[in-house]
Amino acid sequence: MGSRSTRIRTPLTAVGAALLALAVLAGCAVKTGKVTDVGATGGTRVEGGTAVMALPPAATPNWIFPIAAPGYLASYNSAIQNLLFLPLYTPEPKGDALTMDSPRNLARQPRYSDGNKTVTITLKPGYEWSDGEPVTARDVAFWFDLIKHNKKEWAGYSPGLLPDDVERFDVIGERTFRLRLSRAYNPAWFTANELQNFTALPAHAWNPHDESPKAVFARLVQHAERLSQFATDPLWKTVDGPWTLAKWNTSGQVTLVPNKKYRGPDKPHLDRVVLKPFTTSESEFNVLRAGGVDYGYIPPSVMERSDTFEELGYRIDPWEGWAITYLVLNFHHPVAGPMLRQGYLRQALQHLIDQESISRVIWHGSADPTLGPVPASLLDRDPYPYDPAAAKRLLARHGWRAPAGDRDGVLRCARAGTGPGECGKDIARGQELRLELLTQSGSTETSNTMQEIKSSFGRAGVALDIRQQTLNTVLGTTVPCKSTEPVCSAWQVGFFGTQGSWYFPVNPSGEQLFATGAPSNMGNWSDPETDWLIKATEFSDDPGALRDYGHRVAAQLPVLWTPNPAYQVSVIRNDLRGIDQNPTLTLAPQDWYFVRKGGRENWPAS
Amino acid sequence: MTAAELPVPGGGTGAATATPSLARRTAAVFARNKLALAGTVVLAGLLALCFLGPLFHPTDQVHTDLARANLAPGTGGHLLGTTDLGYDMLGRLMYGGRTSLEVGLAAGLLATLFGTVYGAVAGYFGGWLDAAMMRITDAALAIPALFLLVVVAAIVTPSKPVLILVIASVAWLSPARLIRGEALALRSRDYVHAMRLMGGGGGRAVFRHIVPNALGTVVVNATFQIADAILYVAYLSFLGLSIPPPAADWGSMLSAGITYTQVGHWWLIFPPGIAIVLVVAAFNFIGDGLRDAFDVRLRKD
Repeated sequence: MGSRSTRIRTPLTAVGAALLALAVLAGCAVKTGKVTDVGATGGTRVEGGTAVMALPPAATPNWIFPIAAPGYLASYNSAIQNLLFLPLYTPEPKGDALTMDSPRNLARQPRYSDGNKTVTITLKPGYEWSDGEPVTARDVAFWFDLIKHNKKEWAGYSPGLLPDDVERFDVIGERTFRLRLSRAYNPAWFTANELQNFTALPAHAWNPHDESPKAVFARLVQHAERLSQFATDPLWKTVDGPWTLAKWNTSGQVTLVPNKKYRGPDKPHLDRVVLKPFTTSESEFNVLRAGGVDYGYIPPSVMERSDTFEELGYRIDPWEGWAITYLVLNFHHPVAGPMLRQGYLRQALQHLIDQESISRVIWHGSADPTLGPVPASLLDRDPYPYDPAAAKRLLARHGWRAPAGDRDGVLRCARAGTGPGECGKDIARGQELRLELLTQSGSTETSNTMQEIKSSFGRAGVALDIRQQTLNTVLGTTVPCKSTEPVCSAWQVGFFGTQGSWYFPVNPSGEQLFATGAPSNMGNWSDPETDWLIKATEFSDDPGALRDYGHRVAAQLPVLWTPNPAYQVSVIRNDLRGIDQNPTLTLAPQDWYFVRKGGRENWPAS
Repeated sequence: MTAAELPVPGGGTGAATATPSLARRTAAVFARNKLALAGTVVLAGLLALCFLGPLFHPTDQVHTDLARANLAPGTGGHLLGTTDLGYDMLGRLMYGGRTSLEVGLAAGLLATLFGTVYGAVAGYFGGWLDAAMMRITDAALAIPALFLLVVVAAIVTPSKPVLILVIASVAWLSPARLIRGEALALRSRDYVHAMRLMGGGGGRAVFRHIVPNALGTVVVNATFQIADAILYVAYLSFLGLSIPPPAADWGSMLSAGITYTQVGHWWLIFPPGIAIVLVVAAFNFIGDGLRDAFDVRLRKD
C-alpha cells in the first residue's frame, strides 16, 4: 500500500490540509469575474468574432467523410460534416414537430408521383463548390453510387432500406434527378427518414478520373482515416456548406472558418468557430467557470443556482433532444425473460416509476416523463401513471405473495400456471420476483434515478439489484441476442439513457427500434401487431398510422419508460446570440453572432 | 522479548524491585502521548456513532423519500439535513461509517496478517526462497495500487467481502517487507539458535519466536494499514466503484455530495469528509503512540 516515507509526519498539518481541500471543494474558491456586460437581451449586433463551443464529455470528432464507417456515426461527427457538405434536407423544428422544409435545404421539396413510387428532386439554383464548380445532380448521383456499391461499409445501412429501396437513380437534368422506388412509400416517412441521408459530394474533385465506386470509396476512406491531415488534405477543401475547415487536432478540437463561396441564405456572421473537446464534464465545468468557453453546459444539479451563472453573464437553456428514455427489458434472458414477458408484470413495474417526481427532484426539471415510443405530443395520456397500489393489486391478482412472516419481503410466485390469477408461462412456483439492472455509471442523476426506482420497486416487493458499469460496457452488453447465446444471460434490464436512450429519426417510426429483429431492438421485443403498425407508418400516408403505432407500443410496454433528460443544460454567453438548439442535435453556427453593449439588436433575418 | 527482572539503577538499598509487565509499561508510555489518547477517544467516538448511534437515532436508509430531498440541517427534524434522495444525513453518516470502518478494519488486519506471515517466512528461511518471495513483492509494489484496485473493482461487482479482499490484496506488501527485515535480525538471536539445536522446526521458529517478537512492529503497522485501507475505500467509492446503492460509505457520500458543491449543500460534503479525516488521523495518532510505546529507543525514561 505504498511506502510509509511519503506519509505526512505532522498529523495536524495533514488534518489542516485535508480541511482546506474540503473547503475548496465546498465552493469557497475564488470567484471569477463577469464575462460580458450585455444582458440576456438588447445590445448592438456586430459582425465577426470567435465563438468557442464545448463538445460533450469524451466526445472526440474523428470522421470527416460524410459517409460514416461503422463506429464513426456519432452525432458530433455528422454535425460537423453537415456544415461542410450540405445535406439535401435538414430537419427544422416547427412548433412541437419537426419538418424537412428548411430554408437551409440544398434541394426543393421532393415531388412524389406514380402512386408514391417515384420521387423527383430538383436542387436549388446558384449553389457552388468552394472551387467555383456548380453543385449538380451528378454530385448527388456520385454519393448514391458510393453507398450503393459499398453499403456494407456504410454505418447507416439497414437491410431493405436505403439504398435497397431505390431501384433506379436517373439524372434527368443539370439540377434534377429521379428515384424509382421498390414500392410505394409514405412520402412523409420517406422524406424524413430516407431523403435526409442524401448529400451532394464533389464528384469533379473526388473522382476526377472516373474510377469505379468501389475504388474511389476505398481511396476516400483511406483519406478519412488520416485524422491528423484533415485540415491540410486538399480533398476536404472542396465544400459547399457555409463553413470550411481551418484546424482539426488529433485531440478532437475543430476550428471552422466561413466558406467565402457559400451561396446559401444563411451566411456565417462569425470569423471563427472552435469546437472544444473535454474528457470529463468536470473539466468542462471548470473551464466554463473560468470563462474559457462561450457555449458550454452544466450538470442539472447546478440549475438550482443558475443565478450564479446569470451574474457571471451567461444564460441557461436546456437543450431538449428529439428522444425517449427507457429501461430495456431482455425478453430472452433465461430467468428474467419469462417474468418480463408477462404484460401484467410490466404494467405493474411501470406503475411503480414516479416519472413526475424523478423529473422534478432528481433531474431538477431538466427531464420530462416519457409516455411512449413517439413524442409525448402524439400521445394523449399516460396509460400507466405512478400508482403503487395498482401495481401491488396487479401482482397480487396474478399469484405473487410475500413470504410468510415477512410482509416486506421479496414476492414469490405462489400460483404457478397460465390460467387467470396465475403467475404466467414458464414461471415456477416459489420463484422470486428479483431483477438485475445493468446501468451506466458516471452520472449522479442517473444513479439517483435508479436508486429511486429500486426503492419504489422494493416497497412493492420487487427486488432490483443495481450493477453500474461504464457506458461502453453497458452498450456492449445490452445487445439483441438469442436465448441460447451466453451474452443473453449477462443482463436482465439495462439502462444507457443519461443523455436519452433513443434519438428518433425525423419521422419517429419504430422500424429500427421495436420491429422484430430491428438493429436497436436490444430487448428482443417481438409483436406481430407492432410490426404491422410500423410497416403502416412506412408505407401508408395515413397520418393516423404513427399515432396508432405510438398507442400500441405505449400500451404494450416493450420497455419501461423513464424520464427523458435534456441532451444537455446549455450555458451560453449573453452576448452570443442566434443559437437555436435543434432537437436532432444538428449545429448551425452560421446563425450565431455577437452583440455589444448599447443600442438594440437590429439584424435582417437570414 | 519476555518480561525480565532488571537491576534497579542506583538502588540505594540494593534491594531488587519487580518492574511492571511489558504491557503495563507500554500502556503507560502510550498514555503519556496526548495525541495518541485523543486519537483513541475520537476513534471510540466514531465507532460508537456508527454502531450504537442507530439505536438512538433510527432512520430508513434503504427507501428513498423524494418529498424530503435536500432539506437543510435542522429542518423537518433532520439534524444534519437530508440527501438528494431524502435520506436523513445523520443516519446515513452512521450507516456509511459502518461500511467504511468494517471494510477498512478488515482489509487492514487481513493485509497485516498475511504480510506478517509472508515476511517472517521469507526473512527466517532466507536464501533462494527469500529472494524469490521478495522479488514477487518488489514486482507487485511496482504496479500502482490505485490502478490495480480500479481495474479489479471494475471487473467484479463490489461487495463488502470483495472490497476487503481487493484492498488487502495490494496492502500486504508493505508489512511483508517490514517484517522480513525484523525476521532477518531475529533469526540470529541466541534463543532461535537454541530452539534449532533442540530440534525445533521452521514453523515453530516463525510462529513461536519470530512473529511474537516482532509484535510491536506488527501492531504499529496495522494501525497505519487500517488508516490506509479506509482511505482506499474512500478513493474507490469516490471513483464510483463502491458497493451498489442503497449501501453507502463515506467515500461514496462525499462523491455524491461533490455534485452539489455549486448549490451550497455543504451538509452533503463536510460530514463525510470530516469523518474520513478524523478516522484516518485517529489511526495515525494511535499508530504513532504505539510506536513510541513499543520502541525502547524512543522511551523517555
